[in-house]
Amino acid sequence: MMFAGSAWKPDSKTVRVFLIDHAIEVVLVVLAVGMAVGVPHFMTWDNWMNILRANSLKGIIAFGMTVAIIAGLIDLSIGSTVALSGVIVARMCRDLPAAGMDVNSACLLGIVVALGVGVAIGWIHGVSSHKFAMPPFIVTLVTLNALYGVAGMVSGGFPISNQFPDWFNVLGGGRIPVPGFLAAMSGRASLEGVPVPAVVLLISFAVVAFLMRYTTIGRSAYATGGNAEAARLSGINVGATKVVSFIIVQVLAVISGFMTAGQLLAGSFSFGRGWELDVIAAVIIGGTSFTGGVGTVWGTLLGVIFMGMLANGMTLLNFDVYLQFVVRGVVMFVAVLISSYREQLKL
Amino acid sequence: MSNSRIRAEHVSKHYPGIRALDDVSVAFESGRVNALVGKNGSGKSTLLKIFSGAIRPTSGGIYLDDAELHFASTGDAYQQGIATVYQEMSLIPWLSVAENIFIGRLPKWRGMIDWDRAYRMAADLLQSIKVDIDPRQQLSRLSVWQMQVVEITKALSFRPRVILLDEPTSALAKSEVHSLFQAVRALRDQGVIVIYITHKLQELPQIADSVTVLRDGKIEGAAEMKDVTHKDIIHMMFGEVQLHERPRDIDVTDTPVLQVKGLTRKSWYQDVTFTLKKGEVLGVAGMLGAGRTELLRGIFGADPVDAGEVTVGGRSYSGSNPIEMKRAGVGLTPEDRKLQGLILIHSIRDNLCYASMDKTSRGIVEIQKRREALANKQARELDIKIARMDALAGELSGGNQQKVVVGNWLNTSPSIMLYDEPTRGVDVSAKQQIFEIMWAQARKGISIIFVSTELEELLEVCHRILIMRHGRIVGEVIPGTININELYELCMRSD
Repeated sequence: MMFAGSAWKPDSKTVRVFLIDHAIEVVLVVLAVGMAVGVPHFMTWDNWMNILRANSLKGIIAFGMTVAIIAGLIDLSIGSTVALSGVIVARMCRDLPAAGMDVNSACLLGIVVALGVGVAIGWIHGVSSHKFAMPPFIVTLVTLNALYGVAGMVSGGFPISNQFPDWFNVLGGGRIPVPGFLAAMSGRASLEGVPVPAVVLLISFAVVAFLMRYTTIGRSAYATGGNAEAARLSGINVGATKVVSFIIVQVLAVISGFMTAGQLLAGSFSFGRGWELDVIAAVIIGGTSFTGGVGTVWGTLLGVIFMGMLANGMTLLNFDVYLQFVVRGVVMFVAVLISSYREQLKL
Repeated sequence: MSNSRIRAEHVSKHYPGIRALDDVSVAFESGRVNALVGKNGSGKSTLLKIFSGAIRPTSGGIYLDDAELHFASTGDAYQQGIATVYQEMSLIPWLSVAENIFIGRLPKWRGMIDWDRAYRMAADLLQSIKVDIDPRQQLSRLSVWQMQVVEITKALSFRPRVILLDEPTSALAKSEVHSLFQAVRALRDQGVIVIYITHKLQELPQIADSVTVLRDGKIEGAAEMKDVTHKDIIHMMFGEVQLHERPRDIDVTDTPVLQVKGLTRKSWYQDVTFTLKKGEVLGVAGMLGAGRTELLRGIFGADPVDAGEVTVGGRSYSGSNPIEMKRAGVGLTPEDRKLQGLILIHSIRDNLCYASMDKTSRGIVEIQKRREALANKQARELDIKIARMDALAGELSGGNQQKVVVGNWLNTSPSIMLYDEPTRGVDVSAKQQIFEIMWAQARKGISIIFVSTELEELLEVCHRILIMRHGRIVGEVIPGTININELYELCMRSD
């Protein structure tokens, strides 16, 4: 325990390391308080449900990205996977019923196929980076482009709209109603329901956090990212670890693709475009080290919320769209700066 | 031309608890190759660092002819005419020879690089030490000795009065050494003071004019090369060594636990065959570059092998991997604990439990209690001095780091442990503790292969020592029937 014992005297380095390690918590609280005071309608239930709905789609991918970055990898291709998974399901929902299949079965089949494709892409990324020693940055940059093309081909170049069965749309657009008595307790006639994607976000947070904290898969990922050679010489299966990490991020991107399609009632190759930067930003802001081996899924959850709050606040304050880009850029710059400073401080 | 001299006068260097150099006075003359020898820890690298400006002596001074020299930095030493060529090369593979020599100082003409002049200047320098290398050639296309020559030429381009060569042949093949020596002689004949630091005694008669021996931070002797024999130098290096005794109660059984048959990795080691018995501590002795580390890694499956097989636990492996070997009960503590043995940015607890992950988990779920128990057990038994188990491994001292690497493997309950230089960079008491740990394991029936550059350690710790030279096992000795000088002789004899 850091604070146990009466002899503990905080020297300036310990204090700085503590502050930097918990920078995201500190900043999040400051931002929340600031916005609650300065931005009208910010601290309302309905607004928070909106923040969750808008950020869950990228958020669940960020958990997978955390695994990959901790393992010393990176996956830039997730945006195209989002598009591809939605397009696959949409295409199957449109074309298979014409061939006599029930639309529900077609949709289920589409989900299974999309998940299979995600696993396959993750496997290719893992094998190419381990067996062929190709840099993940380049490999996934290549698949980002190639899969965008595939998504365009599958969809025939146009969005495929209004083909999903209702239960699929619920995945992205549904809300779980808040019981009336709770609304009454808060003095309102009704409250916005909890978005289904927010529930998925929390479930995937719990699963990935457990995986990283309490399983051999997580420990192997930390070891591989911390020092791949030492991990290998400790008899850890570094190759399998890389493959599994890449598969985790891809599968979460596929699921995010389902929700995106469900929310927008369509599959399109243009969905997910440019998401990789926001996702990586959330991970880094959450304190995960870009050099691998260090980071937490909890930090990423906070990073996602932070980015969501920031975007929401700027919108409520009617910030110019382009200015919003600039602000997010500055925030990410500072996050990376803090991250680099922390590494110098510790070693 | 009168000879110039560089002198160290009453130079001492003290570190907390260690006298690396103790009142050393020595002089090196121009026009000759002055060899400086000594075993590991004799103080020769400390002296080298003082001459090259990397560190300052605690007391005493350095004089070039009669002027006292003070260096603010290594760059400053260069400016004052002292150039050092280290064994790790500082060259950039994808640049040309001339660029490497004049990097940062390329001749310019109206602000643009004057390539013609750069190539001409490089060619002149290379010619002056009588080597034929094209200055336009890309460095990576050269052979290793040629790169070493480029490194020397780069030093020479500063017009130094003293050149220190630190183990310049350590990376060279035997056939290349001769070519490098020609360049060194040409350098000497230009009137530069050449100080040649080496541990390869067999090279001395070919290249050195005089030899100075350091031992335990003191000058043990200096002589003209023609006046001394091999034996004299070895005796000066080691003196009368007091060896510690191995405990008597560690018995070797006759049961073989590991058999290595014809193991070969081309250009590293060839046709290695031996048997390790239950409870045995087997040493592998050899000079740097003899292939000892590579052999251990080959047995452990850390690197691919070209031929041969390793039999352990009744199964034969030809070309294995660390995962299989761990399953077979083999563990390896690698040569470089910081780069290969530990994850410095992770906690001590984590580092103690990485190899034993399958023991601390049920399915894929880790049982925290088991991790805690295994980590605490090793911390206690190996006497790892730590305040908290979640402190980072990078914060530990060398000796404690080594214990963590060992503990990581002991948690797998191995039957065979391979130790590669476990005592490198640890202090004397930690060293003794590591030996105690090895003996304690041997008592429990764990078999050990122990590789060390420190020959006296092998004599103290092992039941049996294999002699390795140029990638081959050339003999086997029993400690107690041989002294350190003889062992050294066996390891470095050229065949």
